[in-house]
Amino acid sequence: MKQAMRPVAIALLALIGFSAVWLTGIQANAGSDYRDDPRNVRVARAPADTARGNIVTADGVVVAEDDPDGGRRYPEGSRYAHIVGYDASAGRTGVELTRYAAMQTRDDGSITSWILGLLGADLGPPDVHLTIVDEVQQAAEAALGSKTGAVVAIDPRTGAVLAYSSSPAFDPNDVVDGSFDPEDEGSVDEVIDRAADRLLPPGSTFKVIVTAAALEAGLTPDTTFDDATEYAPPGGVAIHNAGGGDCITGSTLTLTDALVVSCNVVFSRLAVDLGAGAVVGAAEDAWFNHRFAWETSAAESSLPSAADLAADIPALAQSGIGERDVRATPLLMAMIAAALGNDGVAMAPYVVSDIVAPDGEAIESTEPAVLGRMFPSAVVDDLLAMMEAVVDQGTGRPGGVSGVRVAGKTGTAEGAGGPHAWFIAVAPVEDPTIAVAVLVEGGGAGGSVAAPIAARVIAAWLAFDS
Amino acid sequence: MTERAEATLIGIAAAIAGLGVGIVTYTAGDGITIDALAAFATQFAAFTGLFIAIRRWAPSATRLLLAPVSLIAAIAAIEVFRIDPDLGRLQRWWLLLGAAIAMAVLFLLRHRGLEVLRRFRYLFLAVALGLLLLPLTPSGWPLGGATINGSRLWVRLQLGERSLSFQPGEAAKLLLVVFLASYLADTWRGLAEMPRSFGPLRLPEPRQLLPMLIAFGVSLMVLVYQRDLGASLLLFVLFMLMLFVATARPTYLVAGGVLAAGGALGAASAFDHVAMRVSAWLHPFADFTGSGYQVSQGLFALSASGVFGTGLGNGAPYLIPAAATDYIFVAVIEEMGLATGLAMLAAYALVIAVGFGIALRAADRFRSLLAAGLTITLAVQTLLIVGGVIRLLPLTGITLPFASYGGSSLLTNMTLVALLARVSHEERA
Repeated sequence: MKQAMRPVAIALLALIGFSAVWLTGIQANAGSDYRDDPRNVRVARAPADTARGNIVTADGVVVAEDDPDGGRRYPEGSRYAHIVGYDASAGRTGVELTRYAAMQTRDDGSITSWILGLLGADLGPPDVHLTIVDEVQQAAEAALGSKTGAVVAIDPRTGAVLAYSSSPAFDPNDVVDGSFDPEDEGSVDEVIDRAADRLLPPGSTFKVIVTAAALEAGLTPDTTFDDATEYAPPGGVAIHNAGGGDCITGSTLTLTDALVVSCNVVFSRLAVDLGAGAVVGAAEDAWFNHRFAWETSAAESSLPSAADLAADIPALAQSGIGERDVRATPLLMAMIAAALGNDGVAMAPYVVSDIVAPDGEAIESTEPAVLGRMFPSAVVDDLLAMMEAVVDQGTGRPGGVSGVRVAGKTGTAEGAGGPHAWFIAVAPVEDPTIAVAVLVEGGGAGGSVAAPIAARVIAAWLAFDS
Repeated sequence: MTERAEATLIGIAAAIAGLGVGIVTYTAGDGITIDALAAFATQFAAFTGLFIAIRRWAPSATRLLLAPVSLIAAIAAIEVFRIDPDLGRLQRWWLLLGAAIAMAVLFLLRHRGLEVLRRFRYLFLAVALGLLLLPLTPSGWPLGGATINGSRLWVRLQLGERSLSFQPGEAAKLLLVVFLASYLADTWRGLAEMPRSFGPLRLPEPRQLLPMLIAFGVSLMVLVYQRDLGASLLLFVLFMLMLFVATARPTYLVAGGVLAAGGALGAASAFDHVAMRVSAWLHPFADFTGSGYQVSQGLFALSASGVFGTGLGNGAPYLIPAAATDYIFVAVIEEMGLATGLAMLAAYALVIAVGFGIALRAADRFRSLLAAGLTITLAVQTLLIVGGVIRLLPLTGITLPFASYGGSSLLTNMTLVALLARVSHEERA
């Protein structure tokens, strides 16, 4: 009898032991799945104001933090409204939304986090480190001032966003305390993210794309064109130059000259001569009509299909100077400038560099990644040289920074409330570290309005970077 | 372990109960109320009383039983009170009553010992079967059956305006163990003879399988008429294991396993309430608002706990249906953590190990089988409900010994402890 009792006793005790192991396993493995289940009302009952980490710029400025009195606060006010966003009873936006979970304490009470804690890991709320440099961001904010528009600056080598400003901006602190209602119709002007979410015709900055298409088709910077006072595409109204007359005094001008003075007659005709396929192809290489991943929402820059433009020559001619149905965001224009500074290859843009535990250990880091090739390597040097001439001698002169080789292109696009001023630039040309796109809505000429803003942002970055 | 150590541990368990209830009322904003003192006093009185009774009427008994049992009861008492203070207060009376009955059993057995039980085994069998059938009496009778939570396990005694409900099946388990121990101690020789063989399996005379078939029949009856899957399983596993222990013939395990598997498959396809339990076990989230609700809520509670729990009063164990009874183990873990849950399992393992130790050293075959049967009852019941709430097994509505709220269960299990102590005492008799 006793020989039968021992196995029964051992089996029953082993089953108790197995229950203990099983129970521990539920906690270790499935804990977070059950916790995230929307039907688990325990989660909804959990206190919402749990501690969260800070959002910090690349130069160490805290731009979002927990308010000791509860909720979040934003020490830099409206400067980061469109990228950091807010976390308020009205909802969450920006990095505050996208990195909400990452900023919460990693101590979820599970066995795993308990053991990590025993091993010395700091499980306190991690900080989010941005790629944005506050000094550059400040320069962008100050240069935009009370104008309506946006500035995006990108490091061409990595895709790291150095500045991201949209004006006018709201103060996220006002959203937290309820004095500003982002849902209100009257708030749209301040709430809209003009850097990535607003589509406007890029105007003459689009000539960079047409020039690329021309160089790809075998033309050179020295290819000459007739310097006519107008170009009338078959079946359409005539296109004139900005000044109304010819572009330079003389009977012919080179491709470089045409870009330097932003010659509409040459480029609209060039677009028609190159054909819709070449123009749309070059634009789509530069990520028009394509989506890309971005921290917040980004609108898709676009132009009509090659087939549509081939069937509508006047539209193709106007597209050649960035008008008609061509639409772009400052973010994409900055990426295009950045690609020119990186041998034609666009890096995927990102704004969060690291998630960092309180003990300084990086939990998660963004590795720079290639988005894709926008320009063939063969045309990049010619394009940069031509764009440098734009800043040295042409419409882009106000975009120059003393002692620095800047390549850029102005744009002045038709707009209902006055022309939209554009400027894209990349510097220093010999070894580019910054690409900028500036848009001032209804601001006037790109050269006189947008280019000086870019120059201040570039100068601020180079001062910081040295 | 010395008596002094056991008394100290009982005192510590009582202090834990008092402290825990104090924390519950304090965090609820009511301050420290008289409930904390009452919880301490009840725990202390019940187990010290039993301690003294054992010292007087079963002085040679092991000193290892009461400490783990009092710890389990103390932890669970806190959580029952936390879920529903009224139930917690009632539970205190049940604990005192259970201790009193256990003391009375020790008192009654003090001179003539367990031998007395042997003499009345058929009476016990008759009473046990009667108790099992009692809930089937019509509800209108003064002592009538009642269906609670879909199972007809309850008897309601009408006392004028008031009524008192209890589960006679709980007590029937003890009586059946006493009967089986006594019966098997006398007949094991015949049952162990295996004159026939079938391949590698040696078989007894067919008529020797009769007791097992009867056990199977009783289990099935409980399942069909009372719709109680847990008690049915418990009874059958108990019969089977005791038969195996008495005869040391694996044939009974094999035959029992085949019967159980067949019965389980048949029951799952024939009875909706069994099929529902199985699907809630395999896919608790498939029918979240229906049959899977209790299991799902239990899993949510477990995931909320962490190693040290949410803290008393910070969890939401009341979201689980039957939190204070079937799900008390999960409720304890949610608020007091995995660590406390594992400590409770360790305490059960200790009681079970001590129980088998008593069985192995018992003076004769009857006492040995009695101790083994009592311990198996305790172990299987613990495994069925713990396995059920952590989704290791299908959930069967059965109480967690010493922990779940419920008078019938507490009374029965305190008596079980007294009987184990008495077997231990008679080791050297």
